[in-house]
Amino acid sequence: MVADPPVPESPAGVRWRARLRAITLESRSPDRAAAWYREALGLSDDAPLLTVGGVELRFTLGTCDPPSAVEPARIVLNFHVDDIRAAEGRLIALEAVWVRELERTRWGIIGTVLDLDGNYVQVVEPAPDSPPCLQRNEEHR
Amino acid sequence: MAIPTLGSILLGTTNPDRLRDWYAAALAPGDAGGVFTEVTPTMFAATFGDTSLLIDGRSDVAGENPEPGRVVLNFHVDDARATAEHLKGLGVTWLVELEEREGGLFGTLVDPDGNYVQIIELKE
Repeated sequence: MVADPPVPESPAGVRWRARLRAITLESRSPDRAAAWYREALGLSDDAPLLTVGGVELRFTLGTCDPPSAVEPARIVLNFHVDDIRAAEGRLIALEAVWVRELERTRWGIIGTVLDLDGNYVQVVEPAPDSPPCLQRNEEHR
Repeated sequence: MAIPTLGSILLGTTNPDRLRDWYAAALAPGDAGGVFTEVTPTMFAATFGDTSLLIDGRSDVAGENPEPGRVVLNFHVDDARATAEHLKGLGVTWLVELEEREGGLFGTLVDPDGNYVQIIELKE
């Protein structure tokens, strides 16, 4: 009889391996903020949850003072798209304030706008040769 | 046309090495070896589920987040109690220690830059 080979131990970190599943954004007007993101991203307004690629965007009422983010570069949401011009068109239709108009970079084509609460939101069409961690995740179309 | 995805969340920081080490130790990225990839000498990336966290050394933010409640990152884990024990072992700062609420276990900690990070284990 041959003994079973030892079972390799699971990596210790697996029990606290974390998945980023939601972002909570404080807003002076959560409903307007949610509607803005739906329009900006071309999402259906039928679904009760605003989910983008497996991550839920939640909006809570805040009484932020000042109303716009003091440090918008502190936390930036990068939305990956496959058609950057269509994304640009949606943002222009929303009359979004551009911080950086579409620009070709080593990571792809990137543009930055302000959301209604002054947070930086970027639309990114990743370059084919950008690192895998910066590529579009295709599992959540 | 495909629906957009939240490809990544960028954390601007004056101390990217410290923030990278904290997230790698605290929350175990899914990348091989649980490590961040060095994108540039001051930018690091790792995946947490379907989204990447980018840690970007910048000069247009202060050392500490002046408005930490504005944006909260919510991480789901399989075993929140084990995660909390692990985090206590690391000596992290808790805003709200792990507690049972309707829907599951929730705790909020503060990363070294003062950003709020919520740990969640949803009930089945």
